[in-house]
Amino acid sequence: MINILIGVISGIVSGSGMGGGTILILCLSLFVGLEQHVAQATNLVFFIPTSIAAIFINIKQKIIDWKLAIPISICGIIGAIIGANISTKMDVSLLKRFFGIFLGFIAIFQIYEMVREYRISKKTHNNFNLNKLRRK
Amino acid sequence: MYKKILVGIIAGFINGFFASGGGMILVPAFIYIFGEDQKKARATSVFCILWMVIASGFFYYNQNFIDWKVGLLCGIGGVIRWNNRSKAFKKIIR
Repeated sequence: MINILIGVISGIVSGSGMGGGTILILCLSLFVGLEQHVAQATNLVFFIPTSIAAIFINIKQKIIDWKLAIPISICGIIGAIIGANISTKMDVSLLKRFFGIFLGFIAIFQIYEMVREYRISKKTHNNFNLNKLRRK
Repeated sequence: MYKKILVGIIAGFINGFFASGGGMILVPAFIYIFGEDQKKARATSVFCILWMVIASGFFYYNQNFIDWKVGLLCGIGGVIRWNNRSKAFKKIIR
């Protein structure tokens, strides 16, 4: 039951398009008590049905850019093979530490993004008001 | 072209290493480097990540790291969530 709940929660988070898997790994290793490697592998299993559902919708809506998607998937497969090979042979505590650093970087990036978007929205809002004044 | 190769390999490496976070790299890269809009960037990134996940999943499977029971249960939760979302999409379109 808790597993389905975690799935729904990380699905909601990944509704923003990214970050669902990271939340899932964190929840699985903290609340279910899985080992880091197993949590990561489980995230992969979780991702396949969810993403296929998403891809079907996206193909129907024709919002996939194939010119970007195909070369990046091919290079991504090469990168994934290298990364997975290193990760599966790595010590668990070291991998956990790297994951923590990675989460820290993501947090900083997300805060930066939020501040940037806030500034842009403020700017456009001000311009909007200025245009209104000019029309008058 | 070299930009595409570089972005693809970096995102693939992160996705293989942490088994997550490919989207964290790909979505901003699509928006800032290739100038896609938000919706297209997210749709394209999900498609790219699926192949990376399958490739890295093979190695995790070989090492017997996959917990099928937990994975499938979480998958059910995720699909429920996605179905709700597509219904919401249709409502918006109508």
